[in-house]
Amino acid sequence: MNVRRAGSIALALVAVAAASACGSSGGTTTVTKSQAGGGGDSKVLVGAGSTFVAPLVQQWEADYVKSPAAVTVTYGAIGSGGGVDQITARTVDFGASDAPLSADQAAACKGCIQIPWSLGAVAITYNVKGLQNKIHLTGPVIADMFMGKVTSWNDPEIAKLNPGVSLPDTHITPVYRSDGSGTSFAFTDWLTKVSPDWANNVGTSTQPPFPTGTGAEHSSGVVAAVQATDGAVTYVDLAYVQANDLQYALLQNAAGNYPEPGIKSVIAAAKVGTSNPDGSISLVNPPASAADAYPDATFTYVIVPQSSPKASTLKDFLKYAIGPTGQAFGPPLGYPKLPSSIVASDQQLIDKIGS
Amino acid sequence: MTTETPTSHIPLSARRRWRLGDVLLQGIAGAAALGLAALMVLLVVEVVGQAHAALSEFGLGFLHTSVWNTVKDTYGALDLIFGTLVTAAVALLIAVPLAIAIGLFLSELAPRALRTPVGTMVELLAAIPSVVLGLWGILVLGPFLNEHVEPFMIAHLGFVPFLDGFPSPVGLLPACLILTLMVVPIVASISRELFTSVPGELKQGALALGATRWEMVRGVAMPQVSGGLVAAVMLGFGRAVGEAIAVTQVIGGSLTRPDSIYAPADTMASRLAAQYAGTATSLQKSSLAYLAVILLVISLLTNVAAQVIVRRIQRRLGHR
Amino acid sequence: MSAVGNPLVSRGRRARRRKLTGQIMEVLATAAALLAAAALAIVIITVAKRAAPALNVDFFTQNAAPFGGAGGGIENAIVGTLIITGIATAIALPAGVLLAIFNTEFAPRRLADLISLTLNVLAGVPTIVIGVFIFALVVVGRGQSAFAGSLGLSIVMLPLVARASEEVLRLVPSHLREGGMALGATRARTVITVILPTAIGGIVTATIVAVARAAGETAPLLFTTSIFVGTAVNTDPSQAMASIPMVIFSYSESPDPHAQQQAWAAALVLVAVVLVGSIAGRLLSLRTRRQIEQVR
Repeated sequence: MNVRRAGSIALALVAVAAASACGSSGGTTTVTKSQAGGGGDSKVLVGAGSTFVAPLVQQWEADYVKSPAAVTVTYGAIGSGGGVDQITARTVDFGASDAPLSADQAAACKGCIQIPWSLGAVAITYNVKGLQNKIHLTGPVIADMFMGKVTSWNDPEIAKLNPGVSLPDTHITPVYRSDGSGTSFAFTDWLTKVSPDWANNVGTSTQPPFPTGTGAEHSSGVVAAVQATDGAVTYVDLAYVQANDLQYALLQNAAGNYPEPGIKSVIAAAKVGTSNPDGSISLVNPPASAADAYPDATFTYVIVPQSSPKASTLKDFLKYAIGPTGQAFGPPLGYPKLPSSIVASDQQLIDKIGS
Repeated sequence: MTTETPTSHIPLSARRRWRLGDVLLQGIAGAAALGLAALMVLLVVEVVGQAHAALSEFGLGFLHTSVWNTVKDTYGALDLIFGTLVTAAVALLIAVPLAIAIGLFLSELAPRALRTPVGTMVELLAAIPSVVLGLWGILVLGPFLNEHVEPFMIAHLGFVPFLDGFPSPVGLLPACLILTLMVVPIVASISRELFTSVPGELKQGALALGATRWEMVRGVAMPQVSGGLVAAVMLGFGRAVGEAIAVTQVIGGSLTRPDSIYAPADTMASRLAAQYAGTATSLQKSSLAYLAVILLVISLLTNVAAQVIVRRIQRRLGHR
Repeated sequence: MSAVGNPLVSRGRRARRRKLTGQIMEVLATAAALLAAAALAIVIITVAKRAAPALNVDFFTQNAAPFGGAGGGIENAIVGTLIITGIATAIALPAGVLLAIFNTEFAPRRLADLISLTLNVLAGVPTIVIGVFIFALVVVGRGQSAFAGSLGLSIVMLPLVARASEEVLRLVPSHLREGGMALGATRARTVITVILPTAIGGIVTATIVAVARAAGETAPLLFTTSIFVGTAVNTDPSQAMASIPMVIFSYSESPDPHAQQQAWAAALVLVAVVLVGSIAGRLLSLRTRRQIEQVR
């Protein structure tokens, strides 16, 4: 073999070896460029997650940058599932999810704190030509609709709840979130509690195995899908219903009433919420004693690492968000202000964040 | 393809001069080639690595199990494989005859003045980004099908199994049509080249013997190019199977198998695009990576097979 | 055209039927071509028509309006796409040209065939799988970044640049190489000072076409630089950046008519880039071929 060829092959091997050593993944030593979670610029906070709370966070983004703190908050509304993924990988400074972390997710997140920073109603919205607004529906009937057991809008089960209302015979198309969604969690959590059929066949999850219907990504996607299909129905955060002027159903609560989804009924549900051992608070299916409580409300959480390189910036932003200035943006969008007891316990949780 | 490097006719003594510049250039260029090999290996290793948990948990059973349940944490790709095959098959069924006809038009039938403009338009169709086609699909094609085409089809073709259902603006049908738009230019430009490559004397001979142009095409040109057409169809199939973005925009991400061509469904690539960014469990993420492995295997097989056919044809043509 | 005037075709009934069949087939083929051209025209005209209301100066100079608001633009996405495709080109162009040089100057035929086969196979890998690959390689443990997106795009661009560069390099007539060697220059020097400059037009063409293609790719960006769509301009490639394809993808699912209009307008920008790139590529390639023919 001639010398020249051997030399060039050796050179090539060295070059490739050097290149792959620099580029290999799994290197834990140096991350050369500053990353979102890696102690870079403290005038920037990066977060991602729930589309449920996105309208509110966007208001905070626009306002907080004008405050004396002058911190730019960037939030990507990619769904609760995505938010949990990102904060677990520490690729963002904070994640947002309407569903509390499961035991597995909490373990994988390695010392994450979940702090409720807003709450809201999961509304049932529909687009049916010839059907009036605010029809009455119950949990079991909605469960049957989403399981494909009730297939047209003039089904006797719906007619029973709406005497005197003219119901077209349009085919029902359930629309659901195909991405990892905290809204799906809150919706299926309620259905599991009120419909044994649903509990046996489908269950509660951020990505439930819906047996029928159309999937769409993000809250905006399910709304768009419903608007495009006559006879479609979906579950989505109330802010989207209000912003797009959509029709919505009145849901029956445990007391037998049909409260209007909004600030008052969500606050009524929050007053009787049940605390779970992991710190989350469940608001679905409030007991009959809360006569005016909305049956399918949910807290939404910000998930932050207990030790963060941007601890002080993060704490300041969270205190702003749960404080009077931040919470004031809520009601016009359909999010009640946090109950003061929650604000107090949140303050304690926020103080736990250190560097 | 030339048959040897451009310098092989220069005497060896002249070529073997040892120069630093040559060694450097050959080294760096060789490094690029090795880098390419490393890239391919790395690609397979990383994707299979992501799928490892699902591969060991489900094995090959994944391919013929019809479930996608995050509550029970068990997954199977059969419904997705069904969706992928149906959309690809329908797209090819419509696209291939169209594309061959277009290839014929551009190589034989069109007046010379029209060949470049029409040919350019067909190639530009291939250049439209898939996300733009998907946007058009969601906001224009889907609603159009939902309001006008699907009710018509249900009313008149509803007796055919799988063609009876409820109209929907998202589902298999818009996905098939969008994939058709993507596959046509690929197969058409290859067909055009193939038909142009048929030796002139064969074509003239048939015409001189009294064949009509169509008979010449059917009896002489087609048999000549049939191998190449198979390769073109394979490449079109690979494209249709691998398309994720436009399909996920219009297919309606359903978790269960569709009962009609109008119903929402899902394909492997589309499910991957929709769910990979945020999963409920890590086994789910790994199962999605398993889908990527299946897509990778399909694309490797179809592309290598197509390339082998193309080499064989080129060798045959080269010996003329 | 077909068999008219051909004395060997008899004028019997069977001949008339054959002639009719031929004419029908020709009509069908023409119809097919017109159908494809019509499809292209429909798509482009729809994009242009629906984009028109959203095209104003704000669209190019402002970022997205907050939830539900009208106005705003895609400035951050335009900047992002420029940076991401710029970095991808900086990676793919040298790598592709080096591969082409290796194939034409140094590789024995079998190896060159193998490399060409590998490039064609790489070109056929679904871009979503490339997205998963880059995610596993770069994003896991580090986070999304524009750089990761660029890596994915460079893999998409590499076969295009390498194959087209190789074609042009092979077109360069061998007497240029021989001349260089006869004058005593090293192979390297001949390549760099004689062959590359001759082929540069073709390489530029290939790059333009590859850039136009890469600018429109969404799947490689989906898991690597997708988080931030609606917010401020970011020029740091170690962070995620907005990009035009991701903006279109994200707004296309929105129920808000303002967002949909912006999606159409962004789509028009992409289609314009692709059209200009493809046409420029064609014109340049014709010119390059003519230039190389002259050198022969």
